[in-house]
Amino acid sequence: MKAFIKYWNKPSRCAYLFLAPSVILLILFSVIPLAAAFGLSLFDVPITMNAASFVGLANFIEAFHDERFLNSLKVTAVFTLLEVPLQVFGAFVIAAFLTKNNFRNKLFRAIYFLPVICSATAVGIMWKMILHSNIGFITAVLQTMGFGKINFLNTPGLTIFVVSFISLWRSFGISAIIYVTAIQQVSASLYEAAEMDGAGKIKQFFHITVPSIRPTFWYILMTRFAGALQIFDIIYITTNGGPNYTTESTVTYIYSRAFSSASSMGYASAMSVILFVIIMAVTVFMYRKMNKED
Amino acid sequence: MKKKAVSILLAAAMTISLLTGCGGAEKAAEAPQTEKEPAAQESEAEQAQPAADSQTVAEEPIKITFWNSFTGADGDMLTDLVNRYNEENTDGITVEMDISADFDSQLSTAFAAGTGPTMILSSSAYRFTYGDYMQDISDVFDRTNLDKTDFIQSYLDYCSEGDALYFVPFQIVGYYMYWNKDLFTAAGLNPETPPSTWDEWAEYAQKLTDESKNVYGSGISYDYAYQIAHIMQRFGGLAVTGESENWKANFEGNSGYAKFLNMYQTMVQNGDNPLEADTDSMASAGQIGMTVGGPWVTAGLDTAGVNYGIGLIPLGDAGDMNSVEVLGFSVTTAASDAEKAAAYKFIEWWNSENAEGSSPALEWSVANGFPAYTYSVQEKDAYKTNAKLSAMSAANPDAPTDFIVDSSFPGTNAIIADVIPEMINSVAFGSSSVEEALAKAQAAADKITADY
Repeated sequence: MKAFIKYWNKPSRCAYLFLAPSVILLILFSVIPLAAAFGLSLFDVPITMNAASFVGLANFIEAFHDERFLNSLKVTAVFTLLEVPLQVFGAFVIAAFLTKNNFRNKLFRAIYFLPVICSATAVGIMWKMILHSNIGFITAVLQTMGFGKINFLNTPGLTIFVVSFISLWRSFGISAIIYVTAIQQVSASLYEAAEMDGAGKIKQFFHITVPSIRPTFWYILMTRFAGALQIFDIIYITTNGGPNYTTESTVTYIYSRAFSSASSMGYASAMSVILFVIIMAVTVFMYRKMNKED
Repeated sequence: MKKKAVSILLAAAMTISLLTGCGGAEKAAEAPQTEKEPAAQESEAEQAQPAADSQTVAEEPIKITFWNSFTGADGDMLTDLVNRYNEENTDGITVEMDISADFDSQLSTAFAAGTGPTMILSSSAYRFTYGDYMQDISDVFDRTNLDKTDFIQSYLDYCSEGDALYFVPFQIVGYYMYWNKDLFTAAGLNPETPPSTWDEWAEYAQKLTDESKNVYGSGISYDYAYQIAHIMQRFGGLAVTGESENWKANFEGNSGYAKFLNMYQTMVQNGDNPLEADTDSMASAGQIGMTVGGPWVTAGLDTAGVNYGIGLIPLGDAGDMNSVEVLGFSVTTAASDAEKAAAYKFIEWWNSENAEGSSPALEWSVANGFPAYTYSVQEKDAYKTNAKLSAMSAANPDAPTDFIVDSSFPGTNAIIADVIPEMINSVAFGSSSVEEALAKAQAAADKITADY
C-alpha cells in the first residue's frame, strides 16, 4: 500500500489521478457516442435499433443527393454568417462600455445576461407570440407606426434574419460578460503608460485592449462558430424550419429524420458525421490561425 | 502538436456527442431481449394465460409503469385519475405514471436498451414503429369484464393487425370545423349555418375577411400537416391505398388534391386565408372566421370567450368521411405476465362504471371533449347533453375512418411529416406550381411506399 501511495504521490503521476474522472466521463459520454455515431452511419437502423443492415456509404451518398439536407447546410451557413460576426464584435463593443464596476454597468450586465439563463423554449415562445403576424405586439406597434403588416416568422428570406436575431439576443450576454472579464484583466499600468504618452481612449482601445484580449476573442469566435453550426432549439421552437424550409438548420433536419417521420437513425447519424467533419475543419482552421497569431 | 491534435479531437467529440445524445447506440445491432420468434411468443402466451388472469392479480402488491406524453392540462386530469385508481383499487396495484414531452425518444431509447414501461398510451400508429415491442392484447376481453361488443368496431380495427389487438382505445381524435358566430353575424351570414361544401367555405371566407380588423375568413395553416391531411382527403380521398407490398400513392393526377391546393393558394393570394403557421392563436383571438382542428381547439376558444360553433368538416368530392386517429393503451413486451394482468385491471377500471353510472372514460370524454369509443358512454346523459360531443359524434358511423392513408399502411408518419408539408409549403410560398408540387409529392410518396 505504501509503495502504491509512494508511486502516485509524485506530482507528475498524481496529475493523472486528478484528470481521471474527467477523462472517464469524456470517454463515456463523448468518445464512445462519437464512435457509435460513426458506426451507425454505415447501417440502416430504425429508431428502436432492433435491426441493422450494413449499407456502407449509402447513407452518405443519399445525404449528398437529398435536397433538404443540402438546403439545411445552406441555411446553417447563412445563420452562422449572420449570427457569429454580430455576436463576436457586437458583444465586444458592448463589453467595452461596461467594463467599469459601477452600478449602471452592473445593472446592464445583469440585463444582458438575463436571456442567457432563460430556457430556449420560453424565449422561443415569447418571441413567437410578440412577432406573430396578426396578434403579435411588435407587429401591431409597427403597423400602428405605418410600417405595414410585417410577417416576421412566415416570410421566406426574412425569417432567417429574425431567427438569427432571436438567437443573438438570447446568447450575446454570455459573450459580453466573458469580454468584460477579459478586459478587466488587462493591466491598468498599460493604460496609464499610454495616457502618459498622450494616447486617447480610442487609441488605447485598439492598441491595448484589443491585442490583450485576443485569446478571449478567439475562444468566443470558436465556441460561437461551433454553437451556430449546431443551432437547433430556437429554430425548433419558433419556426420548426419554416416557412418552406428556409430556416431548417442541419441539426433540425437531423432531429426530424431521427425522431419523426421515417425515423432513420443510420441516415441521421450519417448527416451528423458530415456536420462533425465541417465543424472539425472550421475548428482546426481557427485553432491554427490562433496559434499562428500567438 | 500531438497534444493539440488530441485536444481538438476531444473538443470536436464533445460537440458531436450533442448530436448523438440519443444514447443506446452501442446496442444498435443487438437484438432486444424481448424480441422472440412468433411461435415462441405464442407458446409463452399460452403458458402465461393463468398468470394473466385478472383473478390472480391480487396475490401480492405489484407496481406497473405507465408512460405517455400528455403534458397539457389533460395530463393533470390523467394524473388525478391514475392517483384515484391507486387509492381505490383493492388488487394491490400501483400505477407509476411518467408523462414526458419527449415520450418518443424516451420510448425508443428504452426499447433499444431492452427495457421499457409496462404500459403506454399512444397513437395506434405506433404499432408500425414499435410493433416488435408490443404485446397482442386481444385476450383483454376474455380476461376482464370488458365487453368487446360495446367497443365501436371500426376503432378496434384501427388498433389491430389481423387478429392481433395492440391497443385498447382510449381517445378518438377527429378533426372538426369551428366557426366564429359573431364574425358570421358581422358579415351578414347566418351564424347557425356553417358551410357544408368547400365552395361555400371559399365563398364565406371572402365575406368574412375584414382587412381593417385583421380578420381572415379561412384559417388553414400551411404548418398544420394533420389539418391539411384531413381536408385534403375530403377532396381527393386517401393518399396511399392498396395492400402490403403493393401500396400505391395517389398524389400525381389527383384532381381532388389539385382542387384543394388551388383553392388554398387562391384564398392566400386573395388575403382570405393568412400565410401563418399559428392560426389556432388567431382563432382564439377572434380573428379567424372558420377553421379546422382537433378537439383541443375548443380549450383556446373557451378560454378566450369566443362565441363559436362546431360541426363536421365540409364534404368534398371524395364523399362522406369520418377520418380519425385512435389513441390507445398498449402493453409492451417489457411487461411480465403479472404486470400485463395488472395493466388489464387498470384498463378494465378505466372503462367500467361505478355505482353512480360514471366511468373514467366518460369523465375523460366529457371533460376534454373527445368523442366516445364505446356505445355505453355515448348513451350516457352527461355525454348526450354535451353540445360539443354531440356535434363531434354526428359523423356517419358507416363512413370510412381511415386517416389520409389506408389504416394498415405502415408509412403514415412519413407521409404526414415529410410529403404533405413539402407539398403545401411549396404551394403556399409559390416555389412550385400545384402540378409540380403534386408530382414531387408523388415521387416522395412512391419512395416511401416502396419500403413497405
